[in-house]
Amino acid sequence: MQFLNWLFPFNQNSPKITAKERMQSMLLHDRLELPAGKLENMQEELVNVVSRYFELDSTTTNFDLKHFERKAFLTANFMLMRSK
Amino acid sequence: MTGRVIVVTSGKGGVGKTTASANIGVALAASGSSVCLVDMDIGLRNLDILMGLENRVVYNLVDVVEERCKLKQALVKDKKLPQLNLLPAAQTRDKTAVNADQMKVLCEELKNTFDFVIVDSPAGIESGFQNAVAGASEAIIVTTPEMSAVRDADRIIGLLEARKDEISDYKLILNRIRPHMVKNNDMMSVDDVLEILSVKLLGVVPDDDDIIISTNKGEPIAGSNNTRSGLAFRNIARRLKGDEVPFMDLTDTNNNWVGKIMKIFNPQAYV
Repeated sequence: MQFLNWLFPFNQNSPKITAKERMQSMLLHDRLELPAGKLENMQEELVNVVSRYFELDSTTTNFDLKHFERKAFLTANFMLMRSK
Repeated sequence: MTGRVIVVTSGKGGVGKTTASANIGVALAASGSSVCLVDMDIGLRNLDILMGLENRVVYNLVDVVEERCKLKQALVKDKKLPQLNLLPAAQTRDKTAVNADQMKVLCEELKNTFDFVIVDSPAGIESGFQNAVAGASEAIIVTTPEMSAVRDADRIIGLLEARKDEISDYKLILNRIRPHMVKNNDMMSVDDVLEILSVKLLGVVPDDDDIIISTNKGEPIAGSNNTRSGLAFRNIARRLKGDEVPFMDLTDTNNNWVGKIMKIFNPQAYV
């Protein structure tokens, strides 16, 4: 394992990467006092709202919640095909 | 004189708050400042042990607040550094013995006598923490690169942010870094923790057996010249005073002969 880490320093499965990713996701929920599942519910509703007005390419829809300087930012991307 | 009141806090217990407080106090005093270490961990007194002063405690912080003695009578002078003083916690009382207003008054009084007042906060985010922070205008957050400690540090940063009017500045000490584990990607690095917490760094302290030995002796490691952790704490004290000291090189030089030889010639380069 240590040899592999040495060969591939950016090994995605390293305990360091795992810890960092878990940490970032945990703190995102902590700071916003966000219970599990709430974000997913909102995303579903958002997709429903937008698809009332547009035909969507659902394969490219994505949501991104990130922190920048301890402030949370939500980005949503919808690929619009045509208006309904 | 108006000194600086700095609270040392962490959220999680056992990450090295008291060790950091003692060592910062020693390093600041050794560089010529007058320092008062205040143990706010009422009921779980420990700072006196790390300082090797447990046999000299007569009065304590609660005695001062409840006016059973003068402030001067409760202060315990360090054995080596006369400009370093300890205001011990009471061992037989609990966190409710001193309130935030009493703490503010006490800190005001200490500020007039000392360049630095270092307040060692208890673990947790309840009244003990709130009271410890009450008189301070700066904070030092101590954490280790473990997930639970980082999560608690994040909570503390949130609480300090909410006190922006009183706490004008806060910085992080990352304690117990294990360079060989960081190198092998087995542990979060200094940069990872800083990125996650979005906080300014005050210092990095490597995990070091010498710290345990120094605790057993009651002589904080900042007073010894040939350990990496001692140097790390002296650098932290210099940064507190405004010096720009480069951060630790985490190259793990401890365990190979090249590193050992390099360290003899130039210890500064590796901390």
